[in-house]
Amino acid sequence: MSDQDRTRLERAIAGAFRPRRRLSRRTFFRQAGKGSLYAAGALSLPAILAACGIRAQSPSASALASGTAVPTLPAEPAGTLDWANWPAYIDIDEETGDYPTIQAFEDEYGITVNYTESINDNEEFFGIIQPDLAAGRSPGYDLIVMTDWMIERLIRLGFLSPLDKSKLANWEETCQDLYRDPWYDPGNQYSTAYQSGITGIGYNPKLTGRPITKFDDLLDPEFAGRVGMFAEMRDTMHLTMLSMGVKPQDATTADAQAAHDKLKPFSESGQFRNFYGNDYYDALAAEDLAVCIAWSGDVSQMKLYDNADVEFVVPADGGMLWVDNMAVPVGAEHPLDAHLMMDYWYRLDAQVPLIEYVGYFSPVTGVADRVREDAQTARDEGDDEWADALEVIAETAFPDNATLQNVYTYKQLSEEEEREWNDLFNDVVQSG
Amino acid sequence: MLRRYRWLVPYLFLLPGGIWLLFFFVVPLLVMASVSLQEGSLSQGYALTWNFGIYPQMVAENSGFFIRSVIYALSVTALTLLIGYPLAYTIAFRGGRAKSVLLLLVILPFFTSFVIRTLSWKLILNDNGFVLGTLKDIGLLDAGFRVLATPISVISGLTYNFLPFMVLPLYVALEKVDFRLVEAANDLYASRWQAFRRVTLPLSMPGVFAGSLLVFIPAVGDFVNAQILGSPQTTMIGNRIQRLFLNTNAYPEASALGFLMIAAILVIIGIYARVVGSEELTS
Repeated sequence: MSDQDRTRLERAIAGAFRPRRRLSRRTFFRQAGKGSLYAAGALSLPAILAACGIRAQSPSASALASGTAVPTLPAEPAGTLDWANWPAYIDIDEETGDYPTIQAFEDEYGITVNYTESINDNEEFFGIIQPDLAAGRSPGYDLIVMTDWMIERLIRLGFLSPLDKSKLANWEETCQDLYRDPWYDPGNQYSTAYQSGITGIGYNPKLTGRPITKFDDLLDPEFAGRVGMFAEMRDTMHLTMLSMGVKPQDATTADAQAAHDKLKPFSESGQFRNFYGNDYYDALAAEDLAVCIAWSGDVSQMKLYDNADVEFVVPADGGMLWVDNMAVPVGAEHPLDAHLMMDYWYRLDAQVPLIEYVGYFSPVTGVADRVREDAQTARDEGDDEWADALEVIAETAFPDNATLQNVYTYKQLSEEEEREWNDLFNDVVQSG
Repeated sequence: MLRRYRWLVPYLFLLPGGIWLLFFFVVPLLVMASVSLQEGSLSQGYALTWNFGIYPQMVAENSGFFIRSVIYALSVTALTLLIGYPLAYTIAFRGGRAKSVLLLLVILPFFTSFVIRTLSWKLILNDNGFVLGTLKDIGLLDAGFRVLATPISVISGLTYNFLPFMVLPLYVALEKVDFRLVEAANDLYASRWQAFRRVTLPLSMPGVFAGSLLVFIPAVGDFVNAQILGSPQTTMIGNRIQRLFLNTNAYPEASALGFLMIAAILVIIGIYARVVGSEELTS
């Protein structure tokens, strides 16, 4: 097996079941099972069954919602931080497997970081922490990274702890306007941006034979069986609706129905090779797919490392802009340590190595210039390959204005809408 | 003194397995039963409303997935039997000194993970990979031809992954066959085929039965092969349940589907056992 095949295999393993960028495996039963152990003492079967209920929002939710009182942080850091993040979302020393930027934080602040890549999917991770949060217990993490729409849901359910801005001086100073006061968290009361990106279209001009410009190109019969869609409901449904002239914020369930009706015949005819999670990356790189929905950062990485032919385009009818955010769950045991880490990423000496490794959009001002400096240094040292890579990253560290004109944020779905949209989308994804 | 408690011994032996099954089988099953009958939402919480209506509803909405899964699993069982029987027969009767090596080769794939093996098939069968790409380059295959994302690749993947589960029980059953019985049949003017059909095959039926169950049951519920090697048109019931649980948080629907799958498997196995006559087989 060649090295390229091997990295591809490794990536494929990591990506096989990721509905959104990362792996998925549910531990719902583990949590549910915990509840049932308490119930095992009860005598009758109905009593046992009834005790297995899934609890609702946090007991403190109403209190938080009323005043958003910022809890008083301890004067001194506890010296420990339990951080849950997504796989491949931090800079790694390829040789030792260490996290250099986190180690620098540990040395400087005297805080031991238990960094876990335990978030594989927004919904899945929500299912894991939900029972603890609903019961008012610590979920075992002080800092979590969740996508914007999930942040909105967590706030709504009272699962996030308000932030103490006096501890976020770097954020105040260097966070870009684009990531301040976002739709999902007005005033950044509960969250700060970690990384951001765009959902658009990735394609291989060699296979399509022409430039791809709009969403409807995915439905061109010429590409039948070589088109990839996302298994993530929000991305695929919103892109489809945009192609029908419906902006995300105006979208109704009737529009979702129309999007379903538009996609369903193509799903049944075999136009779509599959609905992918993170594994679309391999299928596009291996040229099984000619064109597919894709994430901006992935395609720039693919261009550098796996397939030089691929291109990324924001569809003419519009793409989706998403932001992954850091937040502190209620009941976190080391909230001050979490604040310090959150603020740490808004320092250039921490953010630059991160963005150079991860390659998405950075929320921090001044990153692109620093990455360009590093590129120049690399070129001076004769490492042209790395210099080229860094120049691409510098270009894509921020979305340009033209791009921003044409991207939209997710609609804030009510629970009712979410269920209806999911039902409609599931019917497209899986043909019975 | 101890003799008085002798009757306890069998129960003591059953205890570890019993406790294990209680906590990791019975309790989760009860949780699942409960969840399937609940209604609610994430913010309001779920409450047990004895919503039995979800079962007919799930049958109506998912019968296509059920039927497809059963067809796939039956095909896989038949294929593994067709491939596995001659293999097990050869190892048992003609293996000679190579027997243990051959058996090792059968088990060897288990040394790596199920998912990795399936993914490597995906790499091998890429539309332009070194197998199909080469065949296309020399003009043996049409440029649009593909194996991945078709029912063929899903059934083949399942067959490959479950083959050892068929071969091993078959081998154990065949190994036990006293070859002198076959010789006796030959002495009594049975042809080789007759001897096989009337002596070897009936004696190996316990292996056929056990192998079929070991292949059929996990194959019905498998979602890995359909996920990695399949397309929207090859969605199996396991994928459906996985999606409802993981991506949609539709816990009641997913739990109900899980129960329906167990029920469907029990019915099919019941029929199979009736036809084959499991009591004779297990005695």
